[in-house]
Amino acid sequence: MRARDAASSDRFPPDVLFNVLLRLPAKDLCRLRAVCRSWRALTSGDPLFAAAHAAAHPGPLLLAKFLDDKSSIYVADLSGNVLKRVADAAGGPYQYLLCRSLNLVCLASDWKRCWVLDPATGAVRVLPESPAVEHVNLVNLRDPYTSFTFGRVAATGEHKVLRMFNRPSFGKGHQQLFEVFTISGGDARWRGRQGPGLFIDKCSGVVVDGVVYFLMSRVYDDSGSGIRPDYIVSFDLGTEEWRRDLRGPISSSNAADMMGPFYLRRDLNLAGLNGSLVLADHHDRRTMDLWFLPDFENGLWVKEYHIQTGSIIPRLAGEDRLKPLLVLDDGRLVFYLAGKGLLLVCDPTTNSFAKVNTRGLDSVGVYTGNLLS
Amino acid sequence: MASAGSGDEKAAAAAMITLISSDNEKFEVTEATATLSQTIRHMIEDGCTDGGVPLPNVTSKILARVIEYCKKHATAAAGEEGSSSSFSDAAFLEVDRAFLEELEEFDDAFLEVDRATLFDLILAANYLDIKGLLNLTCQKVADSVKGKTPEQIREMYNIVNDLTPEEEAEIRRETQWAFE
Repeated sequence: MRARDAASSDRFPPDVLFNVLLRLPAKDLCRLRAVCRSWRALTSGDPLFAAAHAAAHPGPLLLAKFLDDKSSIYVADLSGNVLKRVADAAGGPYQYLLCRSLNLVCLASDWKRCWVLDPATGAVRVLPESPAVEHVNLVNLRDPYTSFTFGRVAATGEHKVLRMFNRPSFGKGHQQLFEVFTISGGDARWRGRQGPGLFIDKCSGVVVDGVVYFLMSRVYDDSGSGIRPDYIVSFDLGTEEWRRDLRGPISSSNAADMMGPFYLRRDLNLAGLNGSLVLADHHDRRTMDLWFLPDFENGLWVKEYHIQTGSIIPRLAGEDRLKPLLVLDDGRLVFYLAGKGLLLVCDPTTNSFAKVNTRGLDSVGVYTGNLLS
Repeated sequence: MASAGSGDEKAAAAAMITLISSDNEKFEVTEATATLSQTIRHMIEDGCTDGGVPLPNVTSKILARVIEYCKKHATAAAGEEGSSSSFSDAAFLEVDRAFLEELEEFDDAFLEVDRATLFDLILAANYLDIKGLLNLTCQKVADSVKGKTPEQIREMYNIVNDLTPEEEAEIRRETQWAFE
């Protein structure tokens, strides 16, 4: 009755409520769930409304852990507005946030521990600390130095974590140990997997389309091993096997021999942008080249960006590593300046950088989930 | 664009549409005005506007306001189409800017209505699928809700809290972060 004969009413008819709430940020909507039942019904779990809201607010969302609150995980937008805080989810100063364009956050530490959080619901899945059966006698459990990568297998929709023990048992054999865990799988154990046969850089891992890519350890930099600094190995989270090795854009090109010893592993970073593997090269310290690999099979790298970084960082030092985080719809690039905990938005057409107004960041990722779901 | 001559006027006169409100009042509007509504645009495309377009969900009072909005914004839309061919023309841009300011003033004045009318305008804009009007009116209400507490919203809009104390406590526990 009221919906049809709305002219006499100053209450919210359902269509008005839907259209008005669509225009509010997620944080307001979560707070206003407490107004009454009809407001709650619309703003918590209504799939039609959640989809319409996501379409009306297309900007990318970030997952962040801030330096001044190491116990919480935040969802924020690129204007620096906090949309959600998940208290007591970040585990303290030694956990860092591992997330690359997913709807879940993985929090990991150097000390075996790792858990997965759904920022929309607050649900937490703690992964077991004990190593895979195959590795029990190989891991130095008093000093288990671990690193993690986290990704989603597109074919099955499964989320998997790849854990690496980087400081295995004393002395003999010096190997890195790899194991896989499937979130939401029935088998709640780590499964041991073969290593790639080379030492990888534990911090270099990125996940693109269900495959984890690593650069090599810096031990090869001066060893005369013949392993180029842009050599890449990759692990398929779906098949749980290593793929064939991949030559980076620098050693693939004719100029490779001219690079000489000045071209070191620390000048390179991996990233995942627009669904492609990207190698970021800032060996000359004032510029950054972004090489995209659109197709793993043909192995052809395309240099899509050449960015002057001198205006924002006079000289990139090792600790001030500038990491590409994502490409916006308008072509601008978002970078994370890790050493300073800053986010920067770069317009590649003008080479101008703008700081995103956030508190200092401890770690950051891209959130693709829906807070209203 | 050529200046609007008598030929254009004749063409416009030929394309008049009759809108009929729920209380049976008839409104003659140009096709350019009427097609700001996607709903009516589709009806025209399907050729089912002969004998008038009945709008049983919209009263004459609200329809008159909606038409007032569409007339103003249809002129604006025509100006934009014209500008695409000559947008480097500085004089034209200057005129454009003045017109946009005027449009903004019109919109602000248009929103000076009581709450029931505002809600009815939203319902009409939603039903007629007039994007600009829906955005304008909804944003006005959204701005009044933004940053408020649930108690303030209930008081502003006479909403009865039908949640049990337990339910409300649970929501507040889950969304505590949103009150910070």
